[in-house]
Amino acid sequence: MSQLNEKSICENKPLTGTVSRPNRGKRGEITEDAELSEGEIRGVRVYVVIPNHLCRRAGIAATWIPIDQIAIFPYEKKHMKQKDCPSQFASQSVTSVFHLRHSVILFHPILRKLVNESFGVFVSLQNLSANKPIEHRLELLKLSRQYRSIIRACLENLQEEITNSVSDNADELKNYVTILYSIECIWHLCEILLIDVGPGNIILPYLLEWVRFHFPKYERNAATLFGGDLIGLESHPEFWDTIIGLLLQGRINIVRALLRQHSASDSNTFKLVDRVLRAMPVYDVTTGTPINEFIIQRQHWLIDVQAKIDAKLFVSDINLNMIMKLVVGDEETWAGIQRTRETWYEFLAGWLFFTEPTVKPFELGEFAKNSIEKMKMKNRLKQLDKAILAVLEYDLLQVINEIQSMTDNGWFVSHLTDLLYHSGRLSNLEQEISSFSAKNLRESFVLNYGITLMGHKSLWQIGLSYLDHCPNNGIHAIELLLPRIPLENEAKTKKIVYEAKQRNLNHIAQSVSKAQGVISMNHGRLGNALTWALRSQDGPFTSFLADKFLKEYIKSGTLVSSDILEHLGSWILASDRLIFLGKFYEFHKLYQDKDYRGAANILTSLLSSKIIPKYFWSVLLLDTIPLLESEELVFSSNDTFTIMHCVEEKENLPELKDKVEIIRLAAARNLSRALIFEAQLP
Amino acid sequence: MSSSVHGTFVSEKINKIRWRPDPFDNSHYFITGSVDNDVNHIKLWDFHENQEEDDIYPFLVSTFPYCGDVTEIQFLNADYFVTSSSSGSMAKIRLYENDIATVGEDGTINLLTAQSQNAVRTIANADSSSIHCVIFLKHNEILTSNLRGQMKVWDLRSSSDKPQSTFMLSGDQVTPTSLTYHPTQRHLIIAGDDLGALTTWDLRQNTYPVNVLNAHEGAISEVQFHSDYPDHLFSCSYSGEIWHWSAKTDAVPLIGIENNETNVWLTSDDVKSKLEVFTLMPTLGKPINTLDLNRNKVICGCDNEAIYLINGITI
Repeated sequence: MSQLNEKSICENKPLTGTVSRPNRGKRGEITEDAELSEGEIRGVRVYVVIPNHLCRRAGIAATWIPIDQIAIFPYEKKHMKQKDCPSQFASQSVTSVFHLRHSVILFHPILRKLVNESFGVFVSLQNLSANKPIEHRLELLKLSRQYRSIIRACLENLQEEITNSVSDNADELKNYVTILYSIECIWHLCEILLIDVGPGNIILPYLLEWVRFHFPKYERNAATLFGGDLIGLESHPEFWDTIIGLLLQGRINIVRALLRQHSASDSNTFKLVDRVLRAMPVYDVTTGTPINEFIIQRQHWLIDVQAKIDAKLFVSDINLNMIMKLVVGDEETWAGIQRTRETWYEFLAGWLFFTEPTVKPFELGEFAKNSIEKMKMKNRLKQLDKAILAVLEYDLLQVINEIQSMTDNGWFVSHLTDLLYHSGRLSNLEQEISSFSAKNLRESFVLNYGITLMGHKSLWQIGLSYLDHCPNNGIHAIELLLPRIPLENEAKTKKIVYEAKQRNLNHIAQSVSKAQGVISMNHGRLGNALTWALRSQDGPFTSFLADKFLKEYIKSGTLVSSDILEHLGSWILASDRLIFLGKFYEFHKLYQDKDYRGAANILTSLLSSKIIPKYFWSVLLLDTIPLLESEELVFSSNDTFTIMHCVEEKENLPELKDKVEIIRLAAARNLSRALIFEAQLP
Repeated sequence: MSSSVHGTFVSEKINKIRWRPDPFDNSHYFITGSVDNDVNHIKLWDFHENQEEDDIYPFLVSTFPYCGDVTEIQFLNADYFVTSSSSGSMAKIRLYENDIATVGEDGTINLLTAQSQNAVRTIANADSSSIHCVIFLKHNEILTSNLRGQMKVWDLRSSSDKPQSTFMLSGDQVTPTSLTYHPTQRHLIIAGDDLGALTTWDLRQNTYPVNVLNAHEGAISEVQFHSDYPDHLFSCSYSGEIWHWSAKTDAVPLIGIENNETNVWLTSDDVKSKLEVFTLMPTLGKPINTLDLNRNKVICGCDNEAIYLINGITI
C-alpha cells in the first residue's frame, strides 16, 4: 500500500484539496510533491494513486527529475493517424504536476546523524585496508564496535525524541527504532561470529553476552528487586521469572544472590542449590584449562546433580527443583519453559550453556534449527529471525539477502557487506560459488547507497565519498550525477566545481560553470555570466556573451559592465569575439581619455583585422568620422587608405546607407591633410 | 597544553558559526546557521563544560527556522546579531560598530545601520561580477572582492558610484573567498582564495601583495586573526583542513629594536620560515565552512553535518 505524502516546501501556500501544498512552477502550473512512503520495495509492485481529476480523465505520463524523483502529469496519448489538433483536455486553468519519490528514512534529522557519523567510520575502514591489507582483525573489531555504538546512540536519540515529541510522528519514530534495533542485533551477532573470532573456537561466552545485551530485561528486573524492599522478595510477581531468565543467560552469580534473598534461604534445600550452582564448572578460555579436563569436571558435576535430583533432595520447592532440572538439561523441563521465552535465540543460548558449553561455531546452525523446531516457530519466522538464523548457519549470502530487504534504504547492507569484504570473509565465498565476486557485491551495495545519498540536498557530498570508494563504476556515477545537482547559488556551484576538480572531472567542472553562466545571463548579469563562461573555457558561449555586450552597445551607445573587461589578461584569448570586445573597449577608453592617436591606432588595427563581427562594421566605420575630422592629425595616409578600402567594401550595408558619403568626405579630407603632412617630413 | 576535539553531529550542514561575545571574554554560547536544508535554521547553543565528566557537549538552547541558506552571522553586541540569507542574493555582511555593509551576487553594495530599517545608501551595479566578500577598512571605507578577484576600495563619503581604486588578487581570475584584517594594524589585509592561497597586502604602501602563501589544498572558506593574540591566524578550507598559524617565537624579537618589522605577516620574503602551522583536527575530507575563536577555543562547522569544538589550543 502506498500513498501520496506531503513534502514540506519552504514557501507558505495554502493547502488545496487532499494533497500537498502546491508550489507554483515556472510556467504557471502547480507542482505538487508526493512521497512514496513504502521505503525500499524490491520486486513488489507499488501502486500510487494520483489524486487528480484531469490525470484520471486524460491519462498520465511521467518523466525523471534528477536525481531521485519522477514527475507525473496529465497527458493524452495520440496515435499516428489522429489529427494534429489541441487535446480536448487542454484548458487555460492551472494544471498539476506531481513529484513522486521514495521516502528515505535516512533523511530524517536523527538518522542523518547516523549517516554522517558512520561515514567517518566508513572512511577509516577504507583507509585501514588501503594501508594494511593484512592482519587488522583487531582494528576491524574496533570499527565494527564503532558502527554499533553509532546505532546505539541513534537509538537513544530516537527514544528521547519519542518521549518528547507530540504523538503524530511517534509511530514513525517507533518504526525506526524497530529497524535500528534489528540492525544492531544482527550486527552484534555478525561481529561475534564473523569478525571477532575468539581463541579456541569457543563461542558460547560471546553468544551469552549477545543475548544479555539484547534482553536486558532480567538484569534490569534483578536490579529493581535488589533496589526495593528485600524482605519477602519472593512474593514479587517477577521473582521466579527473573531467576529463570538470568539462569538462561548464564548469570549464575546473580541467580545465587537472588536466591539468598529468599526468606527460606537458610533452609537446607536452598543451601544445597547454592552449593550446586557455585560448584558448576564454567569454561573460561583465559584460564588455560584444557578442554578435556573441563569436560570431565562437568561430567562429574552433572552426575552429582542428577543423583541429587533422583534422590528428590529438591522436591520441597517446585521452583528449585525446576532450576536443578534445567541445569542438568532435562528435556522435559526445558520443553516446559520454552513457551515462556520471547525468542528462540534466547532459548538457544540457555540450552547451549547448560548442555553444550563447548559448542563449536559450525554446530550452531543445527542447534539453532533445533531450537526453532522446539519452539514450533518454523512458520512464524520474522525477518529478524531469518537473518539471525542465517548468521548462525554462517550462510553469508543468505544473511546479505535478508538484510538487503530491510527498510533502512541500504545503510545496513552496504556497511556490513563492506566490513565483511574487508575482513576477507566474503572472498571465501568466491571459491565456493563460481561467478561470484565479493568485490562486485560490495561495490553494488556501496554504489546504491551513495546514489541514494546523492539525491539529498545536503548529504550529496557524503554520497560522493561513497561513490569514490566504488572502483568500477563510482566515477561514472559521479560523472552522471554531479552535473545534475541543482545549482542554487554561487557558493553551491563552487562546491560542485571543487568536487569535480578534485576528481579530475574537468569537463564536469566546465559544464557546471557554464550552467552557472547561463543562470547569471538569465538574471541579466552579463558580466558575471562572462566570468563563468571564461571559467568554463567554452569558446562559443564566451563569443555569444561578447556578442551580447556589443549588441547592447549598438543599442545604448554605452558599454555595459565595463569593469569586467579590465584585468582580463590572457583570458581574453578565450574567443575571437572576446578579443575584439576587449580591443574595442580599449579603443573606447582611450577615446574617452582623449588619447585620439592611441584610439586611432587601435581602430586601424581592428579594421585591418579579420575579427570584426558583421553587425559591428557600421559602428566602427562611424567611429572613424570624429577621428578623421579631429583637429590633430591622427590617421596616416596609409591608415586612411585602410579606412577607405573598408568603406568601399561595406558601402552596401543598410545601416551605412546615408553615412557612406560622409565617411568618404571625411576620409578624403584627412587624406589630404595626411599627405601634406607626410610630404613635409624629412 | 594539548588541545582536545569534541565533535557533535547536528543533522544539518553549518555554514556559519559565531561565538556570542561575552563581557568576561569567556564565551560559551554560540550561534550556528545552516545551509542546504529544506528549511534552514539559526540555532543558539551552549557548550556545557562539565567538570566531572570529560565530555563537553553543546546544548541546544533555541532554534529558529530561516528562509534560504545562512550566508553570514555577525554580532552587533552580546544581545543582537545580524544574519544574511541566500534568499536575498547570496549576501555577505560586515559591520563597523552599528554600520552594516552588505554585498551579494547581484553586484550591489548596500549600507545599513542597525537603527534603521531602510538602506542608508545603495550602490547598484557596483560590480558587474558577483561580490563575494566585503570588509570595513575604516568607518568610511570598505573593500570588496568579486568573483574575478578584483578588489575594490570604496569611499563611502564620496557620492560617486565608482570605486576609489581597484586591484587584482592575481592575474588568474582567482576568487577571494574570505577577507580579514589584522586586529591591531587594520591596513594589513589578508585574503584567502579559491586555490587555497593566503595573500597579504599592506594597503598603506601599494596595491601589490606583500606576500602570497600557498596554504590549503582546497578553497579557503574562512580566515580569522585571533583578536587578542594578533600573531595567531586561523584558516579552514574545502579540503577539510583547519590550521593555526603562529609566528615562530624566535622570529619575533621581544623588544623591536633590532628589527622594526615586528609584524611577521608584512615580511615580504621567506615568510613561511617565520611561521609555524598546526593542524587542529584530523580531516575527513569534507569542507569546513566556518570557524570562530574565543580565547583558546575554536569552533568550526563542517559539511559532514557536524560542529567541532577544539579546546585548549596553544597560544
